[in-house]
Amino acid sequence: MVTREDVENIALLSKLFVPEEELDGLTASMQEIIDFADAINNAPVSDEGFDNINNLSNVFREDEVVPSYPASEILKNAPEQAEDHFLVRNRE
Amino acid sequence: MGSIAKIHEMLQSKQVSCTELTKSYLEEIEKANGELNAYVCVTPDEALQTAAAVDKKIAAGEEIGLLEGVPMALKDNMSTKGIDTTCCSKILSGYKPIYDATVWEILKAQNAVMLGKTNMDEFAMGSSCENSCFGGAMNPFNTCHVAGGSSGGAASAVGGNIAAYGLGSDTGGSIRQPASFCGVVGLKPTYGAVSRYGLIAYASSLDQIGPITKSVEDASLVFDAIAKQDKRDSTSLGAVGGTTYDKLNNDIKGMKIGIAREYLDGVRDDVKEAVLAAAKVYESLGAEIVYFDLPVLKFALPVYYIIACAEASSNLGRYDGIRYGYKTAHYTGTHDMICRTRSEGFGEEVKRRILLGTYVLSAGYYDAYYKKATDLRGTIIKAFNDAFTHCDVILAPTVPMTAFEKGHAVSDPVETYLTDICTVPVNIAGLPGVSVPCGFNADGMPIGMQLIGKSFGEATILNAAYQYQQAAPEQFKDTKWGVKL
Repeated sequence: MVTREDVENIALLSKLFVPEEELDGLTASMQEIIDFADAINNAPVSDEGFDNINNLSNVFREDEVVPSYPASEILKNAPEQAEDHFLVRNRE
Repeated sequence: MGSIAKIHEMLQSKQVSCTELTKSYLEEIEKANGELNAYVCVTPDEALQTAAAVDKKIAAGEEIGLLEGVPMALKDNMSTKGIDTTCCSKILSGYKPIYDATVWEILKAQNAVMLGKTNMDEFAMGSSCENSCFGGAMNPFNTCHVAGGSSGGAASAVGGNIAAYGLGSDTGGSIRQPASFCGVVGLKPTYGAVSRYGLIAYASSLDQIGPITKSVEDASLVFDAIAKQDKRDSTSLGAVGGTTYDKLNNDIKGMKIGIAREYLDGVRDDVKEAVLAAAKVYESLGAEIVYFDLPVLKFALPVYYIIACAEASSNLGRYDGIRYGYKTAHYTGTHDMICRTRSEGFGEEVKRRILLGTYVLSAGYYDAYYKKATDLRGTIIKAFNDAFTHCDVILAPTVPMTAFEKGHAVSDPVETYLTDICTVPVNIAGLPGVSVPCGFNADGMPIGMQLIGKSFGEATILNAAYQYQQAAPEQFKDTKWGVKL
């Protein structure tokens, strides 16, 4: 059972605001999706497990210095910047 | 002959210059895009610059590569240096990557002429393309119907002849479903065959890039070009199964084509009839049809949505208004700024999936949903492996229906999720799948069938698809739009 409090809590974890007037609608919609997802609880218990596709394993490499992008290039997409840094927010 | 080979021959034999050809594509985009809404960004300057370079090579008597000078399009979630890459989301408005996705790096090096970036559901989340912040792409067979999603723009552009081919991405059917709706070919390669570097992530363990084309030969050519191992994507392995284009004319006599009965459950009659008629065509070509059961398929859709949303909730955590894209105008503190940016920047469906993903990963629900879903993923993979011990390829519908009318998908999320029922199992198991046109409904809308292969079995499914295309060319119809070669 998905409650309004669940949705508020998940929204906080997701860093999303849900306006008060949308809360009931969203709770109902989440409940509907969770009911649909609950179908998996009727599935037989599996002992297959899953690690990853194609049985990949970690590949270690030497820690070598390679060229990267200049800060000026990366900062081009920043909505706001100050003194060659990302500006998170203005000082209050 | 496929469109790509035809264009190659026209360019090499100087029947048309690459600049003239590119200009005619750009003119047709100008005429058609108002209705099809396939492109969200057109790049004439870059296209004509590449075209001029190709013309120079041809004039100098040089041999050009098969994909060289061929006008194409990229889905808007593939990074293109200096060119807007927005995932059709407000939160990435104005974002210009400083590097190219590996697939684009490969094609650019072969002088592919990129005409622009194509429309998609926001962050590839959707089945109709209507979750795009630019509005949905329309179906070239009837513009009152959607192109499908999420790679709806690429399928619409290829079906509408305003790109010779397109690259899409497929997380739960996003290449195959719009290809089926728009009457074109769409290949979702084996997980790991094509590098995901520079593909903006939705669900990293499911995402895969592949071609959307007019013909099977074209899909094969493009796949062979882009399936390369890339050290920048640690899950990339390249074309482990080898090249495909040279294996298109293999005899399929004796090939065992499996039909899992569960794939036909709940599928509309006209779609089922078309798929079974295709099975008859295969029988006439000497293949053997084998029916079998795959009961675990009924869990595939919830497994998919749990895993995809869980991964999305983590992947989309990076959009915070600090490093790129949209940032809210008014805020009171850092937390407030991030929350406002995300709430204003993401669309409804994206927010719904982030919330669902956060829910299934949160304490108290992780074991019941996420853990259970990943365990079932193992069961589904095993079931497919078992199925492939008694058949070579699996034949299934791509979508249980044909393209729906505009506005239909928006109303009910769960009903919309059900349209993905035939496509998601392939992503869960990491297998290759190709959608091929196999008929039309009473209203003339295309029906698609799907051929599913073993891991890295692209050559087998593309050969089977090609044999069908040769035997049933009437299912590959053209539309009124675009450039006629």
